[in-house]
Amino acid sequence: MNSSDMIRAVDLGKAVDTALGQLTILKGIDLEIKESETVAIVGASGSGKTTLLSLLAGLDVPTRGKVFLGPYEITAMDEEERAHVRSEMVGFVFQTFQLLDSLTAIENVMLPAELKRDPDAEEKARELMARVELSHRLNHYPRQLSGGEQQRVAIARAFASSAKILFADEPTGNLDTRTGANVIDLLFDLNAEFGTTLVLVTHDERLAGRCGRSISIASGMLVPEGAGAPA
Amino acid sequence: MNVRLALKLLWRDWRSGELTLLLLSLVIAVSTVTTITLLVDRLHKALLLESATFLAADRVIASGEPIDPVILERADALGLRRAQTLSFLSMVFAEDRAQLSSVKAVSDNYPLRGTLIASNEPFINGFVVDKGPAPGEVWLESRLVPSLDVSIGDTVEIGVAEFRVGKVLIKEPDRGGGFSSAAGPRVMMNLVDVPKTEVVQPASRVSYRYLFAGDAGRLDEFESWVEPHLGEDARLFGVKQGAASVGNALDRAERFLLLGGLLGVVLAGVAIALSAQRYSLRHYDHVAVLKTLGATPSMIDGLFIVIFLALGTVATLAGGAIGFVVQLGITQVLSPYIPVELPPPGALPLWLGMVTGFVCLLSYALPPLLRLRATEPVRVIRRDLADASTTDRLTYGAAVIGTLGLMWWYSKDLYLTSLIFLGALVAVAVLSVIAYSLLRSSRVLGMQAGSVFRLALAGMQRRGQQNTMQILVFGLAIMLLLILYLVRTALVDEWRAQIPENAPNHFAINISPEDVAPIRTLLARNGIASQPLYPMIRGRITQINGESTRAGEGGHAEDEEEAPGPRASSDRNLTFAGVLPDDNHILSGEWWAEDYKGPPLVSLERDIATRNHIKVGDVLTFTIQGRTLSAAVASIRRVAWDNMQPNFYIIFSPGALDDFPSTYMTSFTLPPSKKLFLNELLRDYPTMTVLEVDALIAQVKAIIAQVTLAIELVLVLIMVAGGLVLLASIQASMDERFKQHAILRTLGASRRTVMGSLVVEFCALGFLAGLLATLGAEATVYFLETEIFELEFQFNPELWLLGPAVGTVLIGIVGTLATLKVVRTPPIAVLRGL
Ligand SMILES: Nc1ncnc2c1ncn2[C@@H]1O[C@H](COP(=O)(O)OP(=O)(O)O)[C@@H](O)[C@H]1O
Ligand SMILES: [Mg+2]
Repeated sequence: MNSSDMIRAVDLGKAVDTALGQLTILKGIDLEIKESETVAIVGASGSGKTTLLSLLAGLDVPTRGKVFLGPYEITAMDEEERAHVRSEMVGFVFQTFQLLDSLTAIENVMLPAELKRDPDAEEKARELMARVELSHRLNHYPRQLSGGEQQRVAIARAFASSAKILFADEPTGNLDTRTGANVIDLLFDLNAEFGTTLVLVTHDERLAGRCGRSISIASGMLVPEGAGAPA
Repeated sequence: MNVRLALKLLWRDWRSGELTLLLLSLVIAVSTVTTITLLVDRLHKALLLESATFLAADRVIASGEPIDPVILERADALGLRRAQTLSFLSMVFAEDRAQLSSVKAVSDNYPLRGTLIASNEPFINGFVVDKGPAPGEVWLESRLVPSLDVSIGDTVEIGVAEFRVGKVLIKEPDRGGGFSSAAGPRVMMNLVDVPKTEVVQPASRVSYRYLFAGDAGRLDEFESWVEPHLGEDARLFGVKQGAASVGNALDRAERFLLLGGLLGVVLAGVAIALSAQRYSLRHYDHVAVLKTLGATPSMIDGLFIVIFLALGTVATLAGGAIGFVVQLGITQVLSPYIPVELPPPGALPLWLGMVTGFVCLLSYALPPLLRLRATEPVRVIRRDLADASTTDRLTYGAAVIGTLGLMWWYSKDLYLTSLIFLGALVAVAVLSVIAYSLLRSSRVLGMQAGSVFRLALAGMQRRGQQNTMQILVFGLAIMLLLILYLVRTALVDEWRAQIPENAPNHFAINISPEDVAPIRTLLARNGIASQPLYPMIRGRITQINGESTRAGEGGHAEDEEEAPGPRASSDRNLTFAGVLPDDNHILSGEWWAEDYKGPPLVSLERDIATRNHIKVGDVLTFTIQGRTLSAAVASIRRVAWDNMQPNFYIIFSPGALDDFPSTYMTSFTLPPSKKLFLNELLRDYPTMTVLEVDALIAQVKAIIAQVTLAIELVLVLIMVAGGLVLLASIQASMDERFKQHAILRTLGASRRTVMGSLVVEFCALGFLAGLLATLGAEATVYFLETEIFELEFQFNPELWLLGPAVGTVLIGIVGTLATLKVVRTPPIAVLRGL
């Protein structure tokens, strides 16, 4: 075990019960991600990327194996403790943005700091909104924003919590190529600026190329490095 | 707990319109309950006040001798108002005429409730006077004016005193109070004049009545204090015990108002539950996002508890205020139609309404909100996965406990509560099974129909579970309305039947055997409808199975507390009959054959049998006119005391009383225009006594008319509440429909198709709900009428048309109106908004 590991998964497995019997989605995944590393999880649709991400981030619980985030073994925690860990060190960007529609753009960005009772929530949110070039849309509701704008708000929100790790699940999946490229640039810029560890799920080889390292997954198993991902 | 953040989120939710519906249904629910509680309370108070006029007081102590002054001191200490009357029979003399009259001496503050009406001429309507005769003055009933041949200002004598005729007495509030006071025409005088007549001697038969009025709580306190201090033949009673016919009507009306209040609470609760569910359904995604941002489950609890409390406070305050105003408005609008003045609303019902609102909130809205904590954060990624159902055990449990608690609190009647509750529970269970299978089969039918129908029915079936719920809610709401409607109809019919148009309003007693035939002829000749003549003999039970009744009473002092009812050892009117009188029902034993000729048998009324532990087969010994007679108990009867007919506790078999000289009684109907006939009758047969109950009957009718009005009012209110539930329930289902129809439109379905399918869907839902409601209503009403209201159950064939029709039309219309918005909204707005 390396003390500089930010994320470590040991023999991680996930199975779900379906109408047709048990379905094993992940079959014993081992991986380590170091602090400030940028890692892409790639693989075909249905290979288990999202499942892996949600387990690593503690959004879901595995059926076997362990996950460590920094000093914490989150698989040994209950939801209450996991939430504390998320609050302290994890940020998210989702394919479907996941902004709260009853909140304005800036209120969405303020939310993580507000949950921590940070008195400077609004100020920080303004800065971040400026950083994603949406200062003129502070008081607009998500449904009044385009997809790209919504994702930029989501990115601002992800960095608002001063997270150490950022999980992004196909952040450009719902965007056209050009908008997607802009959003990705923004994501990487901010990531470099904040020194965050980035775990990015994508099936876009080009996007994966911008990360320091790629982890390939196929049918719920890691594809050994150098073996090359199946086309 | 992060109160600030919670309030901020709440404010943001409100601003974005997300909360409007929830808050609205909360406010509506609280204000409906408050309105109903306030109105019911005021109506109830008004009815009590109005019926108190039967006694001229709230409570009366009747006694054959003056009561212990300690009791009066106690009443004064409690701040009760009091008055006193003294009644006795006496001859009243005018110049050359005399008439046996029923004299009533009243204190200056008589009556405490109701009004005295007097005039300066006989047989007219008169005017209200605020107190009785001044000292030295008497007031005569109209009939006495011609019969004594006097006019205002003349002098009459009672005992050794002379009085000036001051006014004609047209109406006194407590005239109907018992046979003794109704015997003979009324003469009213001042209480202070009684001694100087010298008529009332220590041994004379007089009836003292002490009247009390005041605040309900104080009266109850007084009542419980007084009971042990009362002498042997003193009796304390309120209007319910004082006048059986009014008491029964009041009891039932109270139960109905209560039932109305209960159903109002349930309906409001359902409305709240529906909107709270909708609110939390829409907030699952929010919570999931908050969780990914690091909100812990306990933080979520905290947030939503604060939100809940804030909502609850706003809704309760606003609802309470609105309820109060609406209630004021309703009484204002209705005041021309409400014949009594409503007492001002008290603080208690307002408080009650608001607490009810909050408890409703707690049991119906909190559970779905608390369910939010369990939302799994993965939901942000896999929405379908964590689509947790809000209707789990906690929700049901809380709603069940909350409703039960509220119902019990309201009714203070566990039996009524559990009956309604179990009924509803069984209905829900049975109905959901039926609803689900109906839905399935309607889909099969729909397959053969055109595209609009296919779309509608397929839609209904796809959301099978949801729609089952919705049919249940619709059905439940319609069912409650039908129940209330049915019970009200049965009650009103019953009351109308209780006093038929030409019910006998005069009783003649003490008719000697030789006068029976001539009186019958006289009545017939004057075209006056009369009942058969019953023999009547005074007598009392002295032994039960050989044991003395007097001794028995002394030995079972505690028993007397437990079993109220008439004592066996008091003097009673005895009669014999071959045929069971109308309105009497045999409870045990058997009624004898009409031509029975065996040894004496006797039939007892239920209360006297219960109080004295007498069973069929026991042998009773009677003392009649100084001689004894034994008879075996052949049957126990239930008697309808409120039917204003001659009723007897004790009836002998034919021939059993042949050895005793008996007098006869009858009853007849005398319209007001023929009232003077009494003078002729009494002049020809001076030994007989006529009891006039026409005033009493008129008063009972008036009360019943008011009770009926109160009931209709509550019915209307509950209908409004039911309508609100329907609206809330349809609204709650709108999100789903919005989305589905937006998708259909993007697929090219025309507005007409979408609209048509929605209309068909709602009509079908309404029809099924109406059908189920009818089924449930019939079953529940059966139990309510037989168990609670003690009415005869009647099957209601028209309901089977009415129920489904009401369901189809109501839900069809409300649903269609709500869906207009669906088809007007551009599909993209819907798809984006969700
Ligand atoms: N809760 C679940 N129930 C059933 N199947 C699931 C569940 N979660 C994931 N799967 C299945 O597991 C596989 C992997 O899913 P996912 O992790 O979303 O893949 P990816 O993100 O790589 O497309 C898919 O076939 C998906 O359908
Ligand atoms: Mg995925």
